[in-house]
Amino acid sequence: MLQRYWFGDVDEQGCRGAGTDPAALAKRAATLCTDMDSYVPIDWEVARDCGIVRTREEYIDLLREVCTRLAREKITVAYQARDVELLQMVRMLDEVDSVINRLQERAVEWYQVTNPSFSRKYRYLPARKMLGVIRRGARGGLLDVAEEIDRLHGVRSRLMREVSARADEVMPNVSALIGGLVAARLLSRAGGLSELARMPGSTIQVLGSEQALFSHLRAGTPPPKHGIIFQHRRVHNAPREVRGRVARVLAAKLAIAARLDYHRGVLVPEFIEEAQKRIDAAGVVA
Amino acid sequence: MIQVGNVLVSPGEGGVYGERMLEGYRVWDPRRSKFAAYYLLGGGLDLTPGMRVLYLGAANGTTVSHVADYVETVYAVEFAPRPMQDLLEVARRRKNIVPIMADANRPCEYAPFMEEVDLVYQDVAQPNQVEIAEKNLVFLKPGGYFVLMLKMRSVDVRRDPADVVAEARAGLERSLDVVDLRWLEPYHHDHAAIVCSRRE
Repeated sequence: MLQRYWFGDVDEQGCRGAGTDPAALAKRAATLCTDMDSYVPIDWEVARDCGIVRTREEYIDLLREVCTRLAREKITVAYQARDVELLQMVRMLDEVDSVINRLQERAVEWYQVTNPSFSRKYRYLPARKMLGVIRRGARGGLLDVAEEIDRLHGVRSRLMREVSARADEVMPNVSALIGGLVAARLLSRAGGLSELARMPGSTIQVLGSEQALFSHLRAGTPPPKHGIIFQHRRVHNAPREVRGRVARVLAAKLAIAARLDYHRGVLVPEFIEEAQKRIDAAGVVA
Repeated sequence: MIQVGNVLVSPGEGGVYGERMLEGYRVWDPRRSKFAAYYLLGGGLDLTPGMRVLYLGAANGTTVSHVADYVETVYAVEFAPRPMQDLLEVARRRKNIVPIMADANRPCEYAPFMEEVDLVYQDVAQPNQVEIAEKNLVFLKPGGYFVLMLKMRSVDVRRDPADVVAEARAGLERSLDVVDLRWLEPYHHDHAAIVCSRRE
């Protein structure tokens, strides 16, 4: 019975070695496919008698070298999938967002105690605008922090554009329906494009509202209508009574779009046009 | 296995993951490693210098590095790219670890690299843990040991862990003799070590 091992082929007639060059061995090993019914584990002494190695130490060394090469190649291939980096990018973006918010809130608190007569009441002053006020009025450490926050805002908008552009490329159909940023967030929550493509629309609809969903399942609170997709304007701008319907239709179309992205990887204009019409129609109050 | 007082340790080069050193030995923390927990809870399985081990679900190589301190050769199988990066680094410094990137569900992927082993250690977070164990028996010597670290939560979160263990045990007994079953409380919740031996 022929056995194909990493170091060569072995059968009743003997052993044909595949050389001792680790690169060539790795290349050959990557193509091996074992039939487990007739498989017999390796006896390393066969490799010695075959002239590949002289000692067990050499045997393990060469095997390690071959396996390490193979593993490195497989890792490289896994990381080449374009959605892997996008995942990290969008998670970083959300992280930067929350850091900016916390720094800003703290800076405002600090500024208020340095300026007893200051109040945000009756002035439209969101935290972002407060930053300008602080930079004009503050000195020392607070000013440094304010300037750093401002720089972070720059980092954030550049990163956002990058995320959006990458999402357009990785998932053109999903991005066409809900925009690159929200598309990327869906991807991040699902854990990858292949995972997203395997999800039913109803799951996509409530991705990101797990807390509400499980409280619904456990305690019978009202079910969530939307998760991450609420961030899309057609959902959050929809009149309250049809919001659930818009979310449901949008999610159903997203499920199809994700499959198109995963299996075809190119924009399908006919589908997008049709889907947009359906989603818009869902938002009309009867 | 070496113990300093009550502390389980292993001989070898330290600094793999920031583990504490004790009298020149690496401390093997039962909270981080299920094998250490099993041993300290009275499990009678010793790692001996001549052993060849197949380790399924090697992850970042934390437990693998300790096992490698005791035995002759460890075949470490891991599937996910991110932990594999760490495992490769551990294997670079420990000459008796063979790092294999493959799916424990598909033994045909790594069969061309495998010899017969004295111990198969399986710690994978998959729902079909018993099935994976059965597929990998082909690498185990008659009389060798199979250690299954059963994660009940990976099998089915909704079911009672005790039921899951009973079912796994029954499944393993189809092809192996179960010699020890030990829950890993208080170190690991909803985990049990099932040690089996392969019939001669």
